[in-house]
Amino acid sequence: MLTVKNLRKEYTNTVAIDDISFSLQPGRIFGLIGPNGAGKTTTIRIILNIIKPTSGEVLFDGKPMDRSIQNVTGYLPEERGLYKKSTVLDVIVYLASLKNVQSHKASQLAIDWLKKLEILEYKNKKIEELSKGNQQKIQFITSVIHDPRILILDEPFTGFDPINQQLIKETILSLANAGKIIVLSTHQMEIAEKLCSDIFLINKGKEVCSGNLSEIKRQFGTQSIKIEYQGDASFLNQNKDIAHIDMYQNYAEIQLLDSINPSLFLRSLVDKIEIKHFSIIEPTLNKIFIDAIKN
Amino acid sequence: MKKALAIAKWEFMEKIKSKAIIISFFLTPLIILGFSILPSVFAEKDEATTQAIGIIDDTQNYFNPLSAKLNEFKLEDKQPRYVIVNLFEQNTPLDSLKAEANRSVVKKKIEGYLLLTENQKKELVFEYRSLSLGNFNDYKRFEDTFNKIRRIREFEKANIDTSLVSSLLNNIDMNTVKIDEKGKESSADFKSQYFSSFIFIMILFMVIMISGGMLVRSLVEEKSNRLIEIIVSSCKPDDILKGKILGLSGLTMAQIVVWVLIGVAFAGQGMVMFASFQNLFLLFVYFILGFVLYTAIFVGVGSVVTTEQEAQQITSYLSMITISPIVIMIPAMQNPDSLLIRVFSYIPLTTPGVMILRLNSAPISPLEIAATLAELVLAIYLVIKISSKIFRIGILSYGKMPDLKQLFVWLREKE
Repeated sequence: MLTVKNLRKEYTNTVAIDDISFSLQPGRIFGLIGPNGAGKTTTIRIILNIIKPTSGEVLFDGKPMDRSIQNVTGYLPEERGLYKKSTVLDVIVYLASLKNVQSHKASQLAIDWLKKLEILEYKNKKIEELSKGNQQKIQFITSVIHDPRILILDEPFTGFDPINQQLIKETILSLANAGKIIVLSTHQMEIAEKLCSDIFLINKGKEVCSGNLSEIKRQFGTQSIKIEYQGDASFLNQNKDIAHIDMYQNYAEIQLLDSINPSLFLRSLVDKIEIKHFSIIEPTLNKIFIDAIKN
Repeated sequence: MKKALAIAKWEFMEKIKSKAIIISFFLTPLIILGFSILPSVFAEKDEATTQAIGIIDDTQNYFNPLSAKLNEFKLEDKQPRYVIVNLFEQNTPLDSLKAEANRSVVKKKIEGYLLLTENQKKELVFEYRSLSLGNFNDYKRFEDTFNKIRRIREFEKANIDTSLVSSLLNNIDMNTVKIDEKGKESSADFKSQYFSSFIFIMILFMVIMISGGMLVRSLVEEKSNRLIEIIVSSCKPDDILKGKILGLSGLTMAQIVVWVLIGVAFAGQGMVMFASFQNLFLLFVYFILGFVLYTAIFVGVGSVVTTEQEAQQITSYLSMITISPIVIMIPAMQNPDSLLIRVFSYIPLTTPGVMILRLNSAPISPLEIAATLAELVLAIYLVIKISSKIFRIGILSYGKMPDLKQLFVWLREKE
């Protein structure tokens, strides 16, 4: 288990992150979500022991992270790039050697991974000869080749076409199933929504919300309902129980006031219009993100 | 340390495979040879064709012996070097003779002419007049030939034994012999000393400039593509620093080996250069320490740079410092023990260059050698300390280059 406790990082004039705490379980994908400049990269760098926090600590299996952990962490930075003039295999073996993987073992592993990501034919090509997507695959391989226990992926899907996104998605899921601790930092909410079981939403260095994704959705979504109806529903525009309403032809999305019970609200409607469908909407992560940041 | 070695190996292998290094391996010695040899080659190059030279001998005393002697000068292909034309005419005023001769020069009928006259005090005046007054060798031949003839005449007038005359006229050139501390003699003269020191400093300069440039560029590349973050998340910044310095030093050693081999292959030049140094071993020690010192500076400075342009600027400024000892090269060789030179010997940035000069010109006391070496090692230690502190933070900061105040903050920051 990876535990982040009360992290704070100050620079000369700014506080990059302030009192960040969360914990990560093996086999689960943890979404670190937030707008640009929210403090995601700083948090990641502290977890990876690239920089030291001003206060707080990161514990791995109860012990403080130190240099010895570096061989079991894998990192895919957001901005991509590799040694352009070097060959694919050389680059993978070199970066693996920095994680203490012997070179003959590393080349074997590299070939397995190249096969898995369907780019084995490029193994002796120079990086610069590869397409952008294939270069990204190489970089993905360098982050996982040493079979890390903690894998940190910063925007792993940008730049991939849908087919390759699917390939990477499946690979990440199988790594999670193999019991890795995975941190996924992203802006792409639909992907985070599908992959992550836990999320941590960060803004301006501070926690906005965190926890199990379905719980968060429930928590954010109980007051949103959707109805399909027949009849004149214009009276809803004056209804005092409603905080916000989006009305369409025979269909409306309604945000109720916090004090209103959705079931009681439904009962108040059935006399006036014919209800065809009623459901409590789970908000998308995207909506949670936007609402939370705006508030 | 294992990771430092992995980084060193990578830096070495990737750079040695690159086209740039192959060019520098073979091009640099050519450039150095070019700089050191070509000027003298050009200066001594013979003019290849016969020249028509006129003579106006207003004294009417010297034309015959002078033209006879000048006719003795031959070109390499045994053709006469000068064809002598007598431009003197009886009963024509000197001024019109000169005017006519000038016209011939302008029309390029003759290359130039020698004018021999007497002034009011009855002293001889000897002039060479030509469109271009460039060729030093010609003047010297004319002057020497004329003076020799004149002196022989004077001696004959004074009834001095003709067998003595030629001996009296000979100049004895002075040779210089250098004695080292063991009393061994060698015949190195100032010129060869100058050139061998010059070449060595040039090599140091080239090596630092090339590898320093490579180092900074590779850091900029790793920063811009964020590879540095992967590397920093895998090993200690100190290991990265050590690995890079080690890899580059290895590369430089390989480069020097290649250069020496090229030197040996072209025998003469290369060997002469090394032979004129007494203390090859010490020389290499200063060389390597100098290299490491500069590389450590480059690592620190390179880590704060973010663009290729900044990298280039910084590389050239730093390289200028390496080459600065050339400015004090002549005073250092003329007076190796002067205070100024001693002071420069103890400024770490100039120690290697100045000591290379001094080693080549005069014996240096062991105490001073020990002191300068110690000072250099200490400087390297401090620079690596400072550089690694800057490096640690610098490699992770992007955008604007930090100013001095900010650097100071970095230096005080704990790891």
